[in-house]
Amino acid sequence: MTLVVRRLFSLSGSLSVFAVLAVLMSCSNNPYSEKDDDVNVLYTVYSEAPKTLDPAVSYNVTSHSIIGPINETLVEYHYLKRPYELMPGLAKEVPKPNVLGDGRVSYTFALREGVIFQNDPSFELGGAGKRTRKVVADDYVFEFMRVADPGVNSPVIHIFSKIEGFHDFGVRLLELRKDPAFKAMPVREQYQKAGPIEGLRAPDDYTFEVVLTAPYPQLIFWFAMPFTTAVPWEAVQYYDGNDGRPRFADHPVGLGPYRMTHYDKQFRIVLERNENWYGALHPEWKAPGAVYPGEGEEGDREKGYQSDELAGRQLPFIDRIEFRREKEAVPKFNKFLQGYYDKSGITKESFDKVIQGNDLSPEMASMGVSLDRVVQLSVSYIGFNMVDALVGTSAGDRGRKLRQAMSLAVDADEYIELFLNGRGVPAQSVLPPGIFGNDPEYKNEFRAVDLERARRLLVEGGYPNGIDPATDQPLKLRFDTAATSATQLITIRYLVDSWRKLGLDVEVKSTTYNKFQEKVDNRVHQIFQWGWVADYPDPENFLFLLTAAMADKHGPNSANFRNAEFDALFAEMKSRPDGDMRRSIIEEMLGILEQERPWIELVNPVSYVLFHEWVNHYKPPGFEISTLKYQGIDSTRRGELRREWNVPVMWPVYVLLVIAIAIIAPGVLSLIRERQ
Amino acid sequence: MLAYIVRRLAYGAMVVFGVLFFLFVVFFWVATPDDIARRALGEKAPAIAIEQWKENHGYDRPLWPWESFDNNMLFAHYKSMLTFDFGRSDADDVPILEKIAGGVGPSLALTVPMFVLGLVASVLLSLIVAVFRDTYVDRMGIVLCVFGMSVSILLYIVGAQYLIAKLLRWFPISGFDPSPDVVLRFLALPIIVGLVSSIGSNVRFYRTVFLEEVHRDFVRTARAKGAGEARIMIHHVLRNAMIPILTQIVIAIPFLFTGSLVLESFFGIPGLGALSVEAIQGNDFATLRTMVFVGSLLFVVAQVVTDVSYSLADPRVRLE
Repeated sequence: MTLVVRRLFSLSGSLSVFAVLAVLMSCSNNPYSEKDDDVNVLYTVYSEAPKTLDPAVSYNVTSHSIIGPINETLVEYHYLKRPYELMPGLAKEVPKPNVLGDGRVSYTFALREGVIFQNDPSFELGGAGKRTRKVVADDYVFEFMRVADPGVNSPVIHIFSKIEGFHDFGVRLLELRKDPAFKAMPVREQYQKAGPIEGLRAPDDYTFEVVLTAPYPQLIFWFAMPFTTAVPWEAVQYYDGNDGRPRFADHPVGLGPYRMTHYDKQFRIVLERNENWYGALHPEWKAPGAVYPGEGEEGDREKGYQSDELAGRQLPFIDRIEFRREKEAVPKFNKFLQGYYDKSGITKESFDKVIQGNDLSPEMASMGVSLDRVVQLSVSYIGFNMVDALVGTSAGDRGRKLRQAMSLAVDADEYIELFLNGRGVPAQSVLPPGIFGNDPEYKNEFRAVDLERARRLLVEGGYPNGIDPATDQPLKLRFDTAATSATQLITIRYLVDSWRKLGLDVEVKSTTYNKFQEKVDNRVHQIFQWGWVADYPDPENFLFLLTAAMADKHGPNSANFRNAEFDALFAEMKSRPDGDMRRSIIEEMLGILEQERPWIELVNPVSYVLFHEWVNHYKPPGFEISTLKYQGIDSTRRGELRREWNVPVMWPVYVLLVIAIAIIAPGVLSLIRERQ
Repeated sequence: MLAYIVRRLAYGAMVVFGVLFFLFVVFFWVATPDDIARRALGEKAPAIAIEQWKENHGYDRPLWPWESFDNNMLFAHYKSMLTFDFGRSDADDVPILEKIAGGVGPSLALTVPMFVLGLVASVLLSLIVAVFRDTYVDRMGIVLCVFGMSVSILLYIVGAQYLIAKLLRWFPISGFDPSPDVVLRFLALPIIVGLVSSIGSNVRFYRTVFLEEVHRDFVRTARAKGAGEARIMIHHVLRNAMIPILTQIVIAIPFLFTGSLVLESFFGIPGLGALSVEAIQGNDFATLRTMVFVGSLLFVVAQVVTDVSYSLADPRVRLE
């Protein structure tokens, strides 16, 4: 035993010495291999590991930022133009809705011929030795069938419910799958037997037709999202998670400018140029989605987003995209400052260091960092539960005046300054700037602070000085929240204090997110704070949040607002093209919301994007769309600056050694003297 | 001894059984199947998708046996754990065994060096302070140990990230990459933080153990025979202090596999500790219960191994 112990300690000692030496030799803060220093790579981050990369299922920012460049779509957003404008992607044109005689509507996409998928072993299923094949209309039909398949669990299954036969296909599939023999078949065969979906047609390889049972003009925006990309049946069948093959959810096979070459979702994801991309194979097409745009909005030339030299240049500019996982904001920002990330937001803690006045601090400017601000297509708001007896519809005029008074007490400007470092604009309505129907001149009469008027409204509502006549005490209300941290709660305290000025006693009920969601589902919440980020740049994507149809359990109308007039106007608005008539309907709808006050509109966030001098022509979008193929990097300049900024400071090692010797040496000397 | 081991394992099985029940009750006390589905599908998922997800993942069944004896979630929970059929993660449908296999490497890469270096450094330092007992080295050592124990690991993490990674630029602030040319850079800082944060309590513990042995008769005899101080400390004191050292070592072994929750989370190391934290944050019941089950199994086995190792280290110990 003694021998074993001695050997173990001796081994541990040797290992320790080796480890200390190895650590000293590895001394560098560079998170990447040195051989990548001057390579044309863009380094970007994600905080949460993607749950799935299946385009039919993934529905969050991280997943879309990864699969966006892999799964290109039939139509896409113009990189530079604002307001956002759709342009052809893999379709030759953006189709117009074709109204059929019986009220149905169809969209016909003319597909580009000669587009092929990225190389992948799964195509062997279609023939020995095959590594790719051409993209045909059936690949779009297949993807829609996957979205309709209840087993796939697509979160947008309801969006396409107006496609003729879409829902019935899912029902048939579920029924047929009760037979184990059917369930064991490859999914493509299952779809063939359960199909077709009447509203999805592929009359030839390059024509894809979608027929809706009723008009849904916003459908076209969903063709700019990965849900509707072409998916090869071979990949879905091959990547089944068996025999060492990954699942399709972890191995996207697409047709975009990039393909995935490394996937370890916990820390690193790599995309590289797809040599089969139509833009690379057919540069002579000069397709809108394959070349840098020649036109944009005012100011783009000054900011370097647009130039004669750039216009018409073949995309993409960058060879490799490295996604690195960063869970914490502070390390992420520090790595940006060290030059290891190319772009960054600004952490709250670093805001004063980065922004001084309304501009970049001299320190940032001296590093060559640039700043761009973009108003997000999103809105944060305080909501009232309209089925609540005190603040809701059943309280009648009394409840309405209470909501109006509370709205008049909340100072959005101060809120933005105090809690968002000024990164936001006070929201005047449900619609953020940049969305059709948002009038920059519009001032909501209940969104400017006016405590006197608020007090008068309380008197009219039967709550003079905020006193509830039933109890003769300040009216007790409840703010339900999932916020538990001190920094989150302080923002709610601010709101509560605003209402206290009117004499109202608002209690903060903080619970876990799950419990809060349960309250919302059961409609027992009272006042709450929430937000919405656009899926697409259309007013319908915001106004639908307050329609009665969305007030079901799990529906996004958490205010449970139901107004027949509003719903009728919404139905009218959503089927109209942008124009004066649509604008006037929207004004009417916003007028209803202004008076009824189911929401106190709070902030349209403004994102501050920092980027280093080596990042070229990056125009940040206001909502989640893939723009990687348009961005450029000067990797030589990046390499130079990184090396200059990151020389290790070694003198503390020597100081520590001297201190250690100074402490130990007298002891050793005294021991030696004692023994002598 | 065999009867003893069997008896201890049977007690352990009951502990594991109880842990699984406790986890089930606590988890579904704070979360519902709807919450699990919503986290998996995203906030914007409609009711129809949530209901379908629950059906596809077996969360549409009643929770308790008295609601449906032959088709309830509690029995299904026990069945899948006790048959080691861990299934797939609720968050992303990845097989849980695959997740564990992916996390073991990074966890061990962090915890094993931290454990070995920590053990060697603690034993060496405590031997030194034991040799210099009642001198200023001993007293200064104790002060430093108490100081080290009093500081929160979070402060060590933030301080090290700021000082060592940001100002001195010795290592990356956080992150992980298993490539051989960079992996050490990512591990160095969390290992240093792990070492510094634990060394105070370890040194104090081992010092106490060694001081107890230093005053024994056999040490006096060895000294009287003219043995050198180094020989006395390593051959006599260290050997006779093996039982408490072994206890520390064997009990720590399960935690090498389950990873360091705090260090992995703050340094972005994708080990099993981070996996457990993410499972809690993401309402991933399937992954969380597997991690708890594996952790409790390892702990029970380690307890038995500790007892057995006593008898091997010290022939006077009998297991009955």
